[in-house]
Amino acid sequence: MLPEFNLLTPQTLAEALDMLAESAPDAVPLAGGTNLIVDLRDRRQCPAVLVNVAELAELRGIRQENGHVVMGGGTTIAEMLNDPLIAQHAPVLQDAARIFANPLVRHRATVAGNLVYGSPAANTPPPLLVLDAEVELASQAGVRRVPLDDFLVGVRETACRPAELLTAVRWPTPAQHSAAAFRKVGLRKSDAIAVLNVAVRVTQRADGVCEQTRIALGSVAPRVIRARAAEESLLGQPLTETAIAEAARLAAEATRCISDIRGSADYRRRVTEVLVRRLLTQVAGEVK
Amino acid sequence: MNQNSLSITLTINGTEKTLTVQRSDTLLDALRRASYFSVKFGCGTGDCGACTVLLDGEPVRSCQIRATEAAGRAVTTVEALADKEQVFLPSPGLAGLHPLQRAFIETGAIQCGYCTPAQLLTAKALLDRQPNPSEAEIREALGGVLCRCTGYVKIVQAVQRAAALLRGEDPAPFAPIEATLAPDTPLAELLGEYSRVGADGAPLILSPPEMEHLNVVGQGEPKVDGVKLALGQPAFTDDIQMEGMLYGALLTSPHAHARIKQIDASQARALPGVHAVLTHRDIPRVKYASGGQSYPQPPPFDQVCLDDTVRHVGDRVAVVAAETPALAQQALRLIEVEYEVLPHVLDPQAAMQDGAPIVHDEPDTEGIYDRQRNIVHHIEAEGGDREAQWAKADYTFEQEYRTSQQQQAHIEPHVCITYWDEDGRLVVRTSTQVPFHIRRMLAPLIGLPVKQIRVVKPRIGGGFGNKQEMILEDLCAHLTIATGRPVRMEYTRAQEFTSSRSRHPQIMRYKIGVTAEMEVVATELYLIGDTCAYGTHGLTVQMVGGQKGLTLYNAPYSKFVCDVVYTNKPTPGAFRGYGSMQCHFGIEMLMSEIADRMGWDVIEFKRRNWIKQGEELLLAKALGEGREGFQQIIRSNGLEDCVRVGLEATDWYHKRGNETWRQGENGMRRGIGMSVMLHGSGIAGLDMAAATIKMNDDGSFNLLVGATDLGTGSDTILAQIAAEVLGIPATDLVVYSSDTDFTPFDKGAYASSTTYISGEAVRKAALKVAAQIKDHAATMLGSDTSEDMTLRDRQVFTPDGSSLTLEQVALSSLHQQDQHQIIASASHISYECPPPFGAQFVELAVDTETGQVTVERVLMVADAGRVINPITASGQVEGGLQQAIGFAHCEEMVYDESGRLVNPRLGPYRVYRCHEMPHLEAIFVQTEEPTGPFGAKSISELPLDGIAPAMADAIHDATGVWIREVPFTPERVWRALRSADTYSGVWQI
Ligand SMILES: Cc1cc2nc3c(=O)[nH]c(=O)nc-3n(C[C@H](O)[C@H](O)[C@H](O)COP(=O)(O)OP(=O)(O)OC[C@H]3O[C@@H](n4cnc5c(N)ncnc54)[C@H](O)[C@@H]3O)c2cc1C
Ligand code: FES
Ligand code: FES
Repeated sequence: MLPEFNLLTPQTLAEALDMLAESAPDAVPLAGGTNLIVDLRDRRQCPAVLVNVAELAELRGIRQENGHVVMGGGTTIAEMLNDPLIAQHAPVLQDAARIFANPLVRHRATVAGNLVYGSPAANTPPPLLVLDAEVELASQAGVRRVPLDDFLVGVRETACRPAELLTAVRWPTPAQHSAAAFRKVGLRKSDAIAVLNVAVRVTQRADGVCEQTRIALGSVAPRVIRARAAEESLLGQPLTETAIAEAARLAAEATRCISDIRGSADYRRRVTEVLVRRLLTQVAGEVK
Repeated sequence: MNQNSLSITLTINGTEKTLTVQRSDTLLDALRRASYFSVKFGCGTGDCGACTVLLDGEPVRSCQIRATEAAGRAVTTVEALADKEQVFLPSPGLAGLHPLQRAFIETGAIQCGYCTPAQLLTAKALLDRQPNPSEAEIREALGGVLCRCTGYVKIVQAVQRAAALLRGEDPAPFAPIEATLAPDTPLAELLGEYSRVGADGAPLILSPPEMEHLNVVGQGEPKVDGVKLALGQPAFTDDIQMEGMLYGALLTSPHAHARIKQIDASQARALPGVHAVLTHRDIPRVKYASGGQSYPQPPPFDQVCLDDTVRHVGDRVAVVAAETPALAQQALRLIEVEYEVLPHVLDPQAAMQDGAPIVHDEPDTEGIYDRQRNIVHHIEAEGGDREAQWAKADYTFEQEYRTSQQQQAHIEPHVCITYWDEDGRLVVRTSTQVPFHIRRMLAPLIGLPVKQIRVVKPRIGGGFGNKQEMILEDLCAHLTIATGRPVRMEYTRAQEFTSSRSRHPQIMRYKIGVTAEMEVVATELYLIGDTCAYGTHGLTVQMVGGQKGLTLYNAPYSKFVCDVVYTNKPTPGAFRGYGSMQCHFGIEMLMSEIADRMGWDVIEFKRRNWIKQGEELLLAKALGEGREGFQQIIRSNGLEDCVRVGLEATDWYHKRGNETWRQGENGMRRGIGMSVMLHGSGIAGLDMAAATIKMNDDGSFNLLVGATDLGTGSDTILAQIAAEVLGIPATDLVVYSSDTDFTPFDKGAYASSTTYISGEAVRKAALKVAAQIKDHAATMLGSDTSEDMTLRDRQVFTPDGSSLTLEQVALSSLHQQDQHQIIASASHISYECPPPFGAQFVELAVDTETGQVTVERVLMVADAGRVINPITASGQVEGGLQQAIGFAHCEEMVYDESGRLVNPRLGPYRVYRCHEMPHLEAIFVQTEEPTGPFGAKSISELPLDGIAPAMADAIHDATGVWIREVPFTPERVWRALRSADTYSGVWQI
């Protein structure tokens, strides 16, 4: 049993945007419902109108476009896992998808829902951040693009405005000589909610000198963050053990952890350092 | 049809249907209302997957989807899998079932059966897509559907088997592997093939050479209720819809401790469709204890149905009955309660301080030991000569251990339906382990005589002790009495966490004296048992803890001191393991710690000291369960063989302490650990069970038992016991359990008593019936003696070789000659409770930089006496191991400072899922217990007893650090690894 609400099922994106605009701010988009339905049942949110965007064709599909991968906001975690384009250009995203909850949830959960819900522990933001992803937001007023790093604001807070839909996520096809990795620490193999998750990406020159680094940290601050000082410390350097250790230390410094049932702030910070070190070591060996 | 109703058309199981639904209906609501009862409710939060159906061929959780979303689409439920007519006509069998259903039955993948429909559908979707899946793919695919009974071992085997059947292969029958174990059997040869592959294989059963082979007992008979559960038949409490039934709902306290100053239900009562709202003002104040135990229940009676004081977040405040679940919820929101918030206390040690908030200050609760300091009970027991034994000790070791509050997390919530029958008797249809106790305990609360109450137990979707408790029955009955209508109440999943029962958290301080020759001469245990808001089971759980925790090594001087303490948290109760498993954690860890500290071989040290055949249990008399116990002597003990077999099967001596084996990459270290354990079989001198067997025209029988099968398979093994005596296949018995109007008394399913106590009652009843059959055969044959007749193959044979079929005997006895009903009842009580024994071995990996522990392999070798059914028995082991691993590794109820539970959901509470499980293996070393039916002892609780200490031992093997508090969360392990102080107790040498 769910609370009463009106469910609208638009056929097109334009129709959906009209419906949202008409009843804003009482209307909320519904995608896979894996966050929203639980919130409704627990009465954390009580919107009068839900606009079902799960089946909108405009939000679906994964394609390549001008050196970018463009993934519809309605892409489910399961689709991400099975997509050849993602496998080729963003295996790090699949690493995150593979340990996302369980098959039943993966089958419905969408990337837009995962990003818009604004959980600091969510699985897809760290890999998307290291891929330099942007999100496409559509409203009656038109489409705007926002770098994911600006889109994520705080706990349950993003730059998504009422009556706006996240229609796609896009990122530049990673350069050659680039490698990325993702790791999550939970109580067991695939905890729904991570104690901590980390993604890194490194591009190296042929001589091993680091040209670009991205380090994203989840569950260590009110939003998924990038560890910029750590990233910069590696630029122009080969990925030596010392350089990696220093970057890992800086990454841990960037955290603003809280203590909760999954782990204390101190633990999270110290383990951040371990994971960043491991992931950088791993990708240093992988870059071709 | 009101404005919110609409009709949708969809295809269900191949047929187009039009359903009237509410906008707020989930697909689960709509399907169950349309009588697709195989679709189960387990949580409503998307965590358990019990509600899984196929939507256009893909598994989805129907509780997370609005019914309207399914319009125009195709829904498949388990009802569609089989051709029911073929299954039931002309004679029940496995033909007509889907190969998955067949395989689930044959491998024993069904225990309570509550998760079965969801597992079947998820597996079907996988096999439709991938006919030849790997084990990892199967586990991954099933990862969304929780099972709390099976440990998933047999479910995975069933899917593999079904895949083979569907591919047209003809897999060999699923059967246990049997072998003889003599003292001189070369173990390496015997076990090599079985164990070194680490397969989740069929269970291995080892028998002593002299053990007699039986016909039905010892066989892996499929469960007698397997077919109906595989079909998703409406067998559970909630699978009926009664005319005019109302929906009850419970309002719970948001405060840890408060007085209700004002409660105004007028708005709720005024809501159209609401038929009753009951608060503490509306029902009489009758004191009781909610634990389902024998008469007289242990004190204190510190509860009333609805009180003016609340003592934990989630405590009962008011109940309503309304025409729909939605209205009932709305009515709850309209009840206005003004609370006077009182100071609360969450920590048991703080609760024992002077000046702590008093949890039970009400004068009408009697029998609290020290009310001011919240001590409900103070227990002291000792045996042996204190001074003489301590004088022998060369070394003294003392250490403290702590355990957390674990929740049973059975997938079927507590659910109950009450109604008046046509004779004005109150019928209570409820998911309970203790129907007879419920009837007796309910009577005074609702002011009806026992004879006016009938308690019916349909199939239960798991209980694990949590349904040995009156949780909903009294409230539901009050609502039926208030409204005159049938009322159904079901807990939400959050209420299961905050308002049902759980495992008692304990703080243990063990002190052991040993000699330089490895002899344990004295053991003392001081125990603080946190019984939280109410005392139910508080006394007996801690007594069992002391008894088992001090009996395993049975030191010549043993002392038990215990305080049972109130705090303002949700109340613990009975949970498989019942105090014993907590105290095993303490004793087994300290024994391992001592061996390590002294440089002794841990096996040798334990072996020197564990209790042996012929030994008397020192504290058995002093520590009964809530009352004085009885003297006990060990008559069967296979522990030595359990350990011997386990060491060989795990290749222990190659791994333990082997630095090469330990080391992994990236700070990973492996370790192996072990523990030994014992449990009981029933409560000596207290537990009584009875059975009735009645013969029918065709030579079949009804077996009526009060014993309560809650998914364990007890109906099946009881049928096997009767069948063995009567010389018939188990399928010739129609088993009925349990209904207070029709089945004889049984104290219920708890205390590991069903096989041992109820089993013996069945055997006795069968012997009486066998005697009657022989007597009647003698009459028919004109013989003046029935002596030396035997029953086998559905016939009775005389010594001279002539025979009659049981059908001939039945027809003659009912219709032709000396007509009478062949029927007998028998009761059984035992003054002994023989312990089953076991050894558990754990291999794991510790990430020393993050503290994350991964359990890789668990082996349990058990002596449960003679194993009546190897498949159900190994299922008990595997399911028990899953719960034990959860207890040790990740499950824990966590509170914030205000006493609010922060993880009242199956997801964040963390029940192990299929793809997270380590390899589980079960080996049985059979013994013959002279007092048990065909030599059987218990098995169901034993697997819980040893995993936590074995894991701690393995973590120590890997890292050199002892972790003395469960669960072993990454942070706890990480901290322990970083603290230089690896020993904080007192060593006196
Ligand atoms: C059992 C369980 C396990 C889980 N495990 C994980 C896990 O391991 N990792 C993890 O990261 N998350 C996990 N989650 C959380 C959840 O599944 C994800 O956040 C999921 O990606 C949300 O997507 P959805 O499509 O279900 O969103 P919904 O629940 O439908 O919506 C979520 C929010 O996003 C908004 N929204 C949806 N689509 C759009 C859009 N196109 N434009 C704008 N706003 C939109 C909605 O209005 C709502 O506020 C779990 C949830 C459950 C129930
Ligand atoms: S009832 Fe739907 S997931 Fe638990
Ligand atoms: S058999 Fe799976 S929950 Fe009981």
